Amino acid sequence: MLSAVSENPVAQSSAGNAELAAVLERVAAGDQLAFGELYDLTSARIFGLVRRLLVDHAQSEEVTQEVFLEIWQTAPRFDATRGAAMSWMMTMAHRRAVDRIRASQAGRDRDQRIGRRDLTVEYDDVAETVEITIEHERVARAMTRLTELQREAVSLAYYGGLSHSELAHHLDVPLGTVKTRLRDGMIRLRDELGVSA
Amino acid sequence: MSERDERLSRAASAALHATDGSDTAEPEAVEQSTVDGVNEFSETAAQLGLATTPVQPPASLRDELMARIALTPQLPAIDDGEAATGASAAPAVDAVTAASPTLRLPAAEPAADTAADAPDAPAASSARADSTVVEEPGPAERRAAARWRRPVGVLLAVAAASALFFGGLAIGTLSDSTPPSNPSQAEELAAIAAAPDSQRAVAEVAGGGTATLVWSGELGRSALLADGLAPLPADQTYQLWYIGEEGPVSAGTFEVSGKGTTWHVLEGEMSAGDTVGVTVEPSGGSDAPTSDPIVAIAS
Repeated sequence: MLSAVSENPVAQSSAGNAELAAVLERVAAGDQLAFGELYDLTSARIFGLVRRLLVDHAQSEEVTQEVFLEIWQTAPRFDATRGAAMSWMMTMAHRRAVDRIRASQAGRDRDQRIGRRDLTVEYDDVAETVEITIEHERVARAMTRLTELQREAVSLAYYGGLSHSELAHHLDVPLGTVKTRLRDGMIRLRDELGVSA
Repeated sequence: MSERDERLSRAASAALHATDGSDTAEPEAVEQSTVDGVNEFSETAAQLGLATTPVQPPASLRDELMARIALTPQLPAIDDGEAATGASAAPAVDAVTAASPTLRLPAAEPAADTAADAPDAPAASSARADSTVVEEPGPAERRAAARWRRPVGVLLAVAAASALFFGGLAIGTLSDSTPPSNPSQAEELAAIAAAPDSQRAVAEVAGGGTATLVWSGELGRSALLADGLAPLPADQTYQLWYIGEEGPVSAGTFEVSGKGTTWHVLEGEMSAGDTVGVTVEPSGGSDAPTSDPIVAIAS
């Protein structure tokens, strides 16, 4: 059944990058039980993100499965010097969810989706743990430092899965403007969040 | 826009996956947006992802995945600068996925045709050097057939490469497979597939479909994966058998619902040289096989 994380939320949220990287290293060596551990540590995060983008439960399950199969297959190529393990997996999840949206959603569905959903960070969601609340609020706070136009463009792109041309159409601005808003928004976000890369 | 602004713009869009067309359509442009192969916004984008509310996926997803990975080869590590961002690793995986439909066996050839060719069927050439597929278990299979109570007319060709199996089954039919209800079976399958002496063999099934046997002599355990087996009427069941020197010993029954993949860890202990057979039996199973095997795979 689908429900917000409650069983082991701390493990899901606070698994340190070092711990994840160590598990991923074992996965990379073909350790299938380690893959089970990795899944337990990260699946709610992956599934949460995919479902946020796709909304549809069945498709979200399919894409989550694709993501974890890709993690299994490509784990030997993960390079810890290039970024955090969790970020590597979230990047994969986001890309596959966006690919699914582009492949399956007709334009009309997309417009309905955008119209119906709040595409900003979910301020009103009750975060289940202190850890998640902190991450959540850190991002929410950083988002408030963007201009409204930047925040709108970044949110629609990331949480809505909209492409440049879809953004331009939806916001009724030229492509170049879209790109500039995304760029300046991401630069501001990066600086506010203080992430290294 | 300055050159730097241009690059930052591309990097931001790539990190948000907002570039029109597929992500990999313009690998050069994506590459140009990175600094030493790292997109400077990818960590920022991941933070946006981590701010979403986690949702526990259904338990069946874990079982399914544990079975899948037991049968899915990993990509080799690479040393050069190509290494894994999610985006750059994608093409290789997608190539495997895309190739799968053409790698599949023709569904159900008439049994008589394949039976005639069975002992000499050439193994499909394997694309994978690290394949553990055991092909053409002819002699052992014939020995097993001789031990059967009745003449066996329809033992079929065992000729399939791992590429075919992995491509067609493991990745190609993700969404319509039927995992066993007992979650620990997935762990057992994983253990069998992960054993140092783990081997597998693929065979066609009389009446359509393919069966894959994964086994470990050290563990004395095996699992059978069936793809495309026909569902049986309510008064019949599929039954598994270990066929050794003493003749067939039941290794449990299993059902197939709908089209897709089922897998089953065999009951009992496997002995070296055993052949695994599947028969169609009256509901509830039989003490000894009452029909010819629809497939037999030698270990």
